Amino acid sequence: MNDTFRDTARPAALTIDAELVRAHGLAAIVTLLIAAAFGIVASLQLIDPGLTGDVVWLSWGRLRFAHTQGIMFAWLGNAFFAFLYHAVPILTGRSVTSRQLGRWLFGLWNFAVIMPGWMLVLAGVSQPLEWAEFPLVVDAVVVLALLLAIVQFLPPFFARGIEHLYVSSWYIIGALVFTALAYPMGNLVPELVPGASGAAFSGLWIHDAVGLYVTPLALAVIYFVIPASTRRPIYSHFLSMLGFWLLFFLYPLNGTHHYVFSVIPMSAQLTAIAASTLLGVDVIIVVANLLLSVRGSGVFPRDAGLRFVIMSTIFYLVVSVQGSLQAQMSINQAVHFTDWVIGHSHLAMLGFASFAAAGGLAHAWQRLPSARYNERAMRWAFWLMFVGVLVMVIDLTAAGLVESALWRSGAPWLDSVVAARPYWIVRSLSAIPIVAGFVALWLGLTTGPHADDLPRTATEAA
Amino acid sequence: MSAQSGRTVRMAYLVASVAGVVFFVVSVVLLGVLPTRALNADMRAMGPAKLPALTASEQRGRIVYAREGCAYCHTQQVRYVHADMTRFGAPTLAWETQFDFPHMWGTRRIGPDLAREGGTRPDDWQFAHLYAPRAVVPLSVMPSYASLFEGAANRPTNDGRALVAYLASLGRARELAAPEGEARAREACHCPDDEMAQMAFEMKELNAHPARARRTGAVPALPSAGDRAAGLQLYANHCAGCHGATGVGDGPGAGGVRPRPSNLSAHRYSTGRIAETLWNGVAGTSMPAWRDQPLDRIAALVAAVQSFSQSAALEEQAGLRTADDDRGARVYAANCAQCHGERGAGDGFSATSLAVAPTNFQKQQPLPSAALRALTSGIDGTSMAPWTTRLSDADITAVVHYVRSLYTGDAKEERR
Repeated sequence: MNDTFRDTARPAALTIDAELVRAHGLAAIVTLLIAAAFGIVASLQLIDPGLTGDVVWLSWGRLRFAHTQGIMFAWLGNAFFAFLYHAVPILTGRSVTSRQLGRWLFGLWNFAVIMPGWMLVLAGVSQPLEWAEFPLVVDAVVVLALLLAIVQFLPPFFARGIEHLYVSSWYIIGALVFTALAYPMGNLVPELVPGASGAAFSGLWIHDAVGLYVTPLALAVIYFVIPASTRRPIYSHFLSMLGFWLLFFLYPLNGTHHYVFSVIPMSAQLTAIAASTLLGVDVIIVVANLLLSVRGSGVFPRDAGLRFVIMSTIFYLVVSVQGSLQAQMSINQAVHFTDWVIGHSHLAMLGFASFAAAGGLAHAWQRLPSARYNERAMRWAFWLMFVGVLVMVIDLTAAGLVESALWRSGAPWLDSVVAARPYWIVRSLSAIPIVAGFVALWLGLTTGPHADDLPRTATEAA
Repeated sequence: MSAQSGRTVRMAYLVASVAGVVFFVVSVVLLGVLPTRALNADMRAMGPAKLPALTASEQRGRIVYAREGCAYCHTQQVRYVHADMTRFGAPTLAWETQFDFPHMWGTRRIGPDLAREGGTRPDDWQFAHLYAPRAVVPLSVMPSYASLFEGAANRPTNDGRALVAYLASLGRARELAAPEGEARAREACHCPDDEMAQMAFEMKELNAHPARARRTGAVPALPSAGDRAAGLQLYANHCAGCHGATGVGDGPGAGGVRPRPSNLSAHRYSTGRIAETLWNGVAGTSMPAWRDQPLDRIAALVAAVQSFSQSAALEEQAGLRTADDDRGARVYAANCAQCHGERGAGDGFSATSLAVAPTNFQKQQPLPSAALRALTSGIDGTSMAPWTTRLSDADITAVVHYVRSLYTGDAKEERR
């Protein structure tokens, strides 16, 4: 069925909505810079707690809420939407449901979810649930937007019958449907179910946010960009489908691994630990398939889109194997609660997901009529982000090991805070290449020659 | 693709799609619904029959705690691992968090766990610390929450008061339920077949937090000579916030706490006296315990603290007048002994009923000026009242000399 993925076989009438790709793409990078700024100020506050004085809305806790929600909804959400507007018509041979709906969705997502979400959490209206900090009133809009996204993107997939679907299509369908299902669980149920039970549901969502929303959409990008850039089919369609279904079977069962050694029943903890282990195996299947598909292209190919998604694939392997290990009790008891886990989540969101999102943007942008694209800036973006994420993750992993050793040694608590300080300084310094990379990403998509002038895309656009 | 194989693939995908939804539902049931049922059963079986809910003020404090993201640095969950239990106390049981909507267990620990914070430190300390964390804990990285105060640590807003009320409620229910509640819970849990569940009851003390003050407790023997230079560095990092850089009790955190931090330069302390204070804290005051510090560090701190009173002591000794010991003894026996004890060991018959223990003059010798100030002005925040209305100037002078004569140091301690 690889033959159903043909970049060149678009019907003449097919329209990719350039306006929506561009709007979401630029919104993604603007909000990325804002969300990163929240994170950077929060990281600097750990080095100089008095940094922002008594400005209430800039206090550490509120910035952290705004940082993670911003990365998830604003940056990744917008970047994935931009990619969907590019990819869905190509994958299905049909336009998305409605341009008008697209404008509404753009407005809702940016001006009824992200902006009010940020303003409310900074003003102190929030809920203290991880990956669910936006208050319930914003959650309602998120669910509405997710339903509209289903209406917008899914009907084209079902027009030709599901036996023709390429694996990216499956990931897109899965992501939109399951996120809409899982979202209320992490955002609403813990408000109604107390303490330990609430934590059990919260754990489900903490993992589903990554597993059913971020991961499938990132993989949809990777599976799309690789064959479209290399002009070779994916290595094995069977492996890609096997990986897809295993992922959707296993990911939801991981949740409780965030609460190992808690009072949540051991049977649930063990289920989650077993599923986490199997998930590592599944990711090895997926990644093997992807890397076999790009063999011959090198690890750092010329095309920035392909380069980003290949590195994203490698990060995906590392972060997933790391995740499987962290779920094991012997490792969990040592590293849980430490900076190791912060390193892990940055490897997932900044390494794996953001590289996939950037790759998707770079790929779509080069094929966008009249868009400007600066290849040199994109290469800078790649290297700067790559160096930044490596420094940050290695640094935080080391910090976690130091903290863990001090905690277990029985040393005074403050010793672990003091010992973390040099690592926190390096973590803040790693923001310099990362943000420079984000700025380069912005330049890559807003400067340089117009896409129409590029010889390769000129022939394709016809 | 032939029509036949197309149909097969289509069927396979349909089956997989249904399975995908089923797996999602299964995940919710296995990791959400069934654990909830088990936890509810646990709570019924192991929780106390009656559990006081949070008061309105504590509930309001909980909202402040939630919106400021406190849970993102301070967990509220003591895990079933030994590193957690030895530091923070018994692992968290399900019923302890049954009023938490939503839960605030947390997944990152930058500051210490707060599941058992209630009773660990007095409210004054909490206010001073929230208002200006580094005034109290110089090396802390906690943000200041000055917006919960009206310009001073002892003038909290309603939100500030509520937050501290909430902090005081953490772990309270479990503590109140003991020991009958512990016995009942132990019976109801599936121990002894469940090794992990057993751990919830292994702790001798529910709250193992090293900063929790205890009224009494044996202090392990310290290494003989403390390193004064190292002690002064430790003092600057941990103590100077309240006691001040030179030990006179004028640190930036001193203004908010009551009773005020001791003026360490105005008393001569025996080694045992300082060691005991560092080990147990001072119940009823903001002085936390420092049990998590290694013994050589405690010995170093003792040396540092003792150095503060040396120079001042010499100065005052020079100008001392002769004492009227008979008169002093008479006044002391009539007015002071019921709290401070006949021999000044701080063990008078009223001593145990006082929130802050009376000074033990055998191990702590005030400078005449400090004793005089205490007698004429009292000590705010303790049961020591001013005596100027009941004692003449001559009585006061005599008793100042008398209490100073009671000092024995660590060598021998005379009990009544």
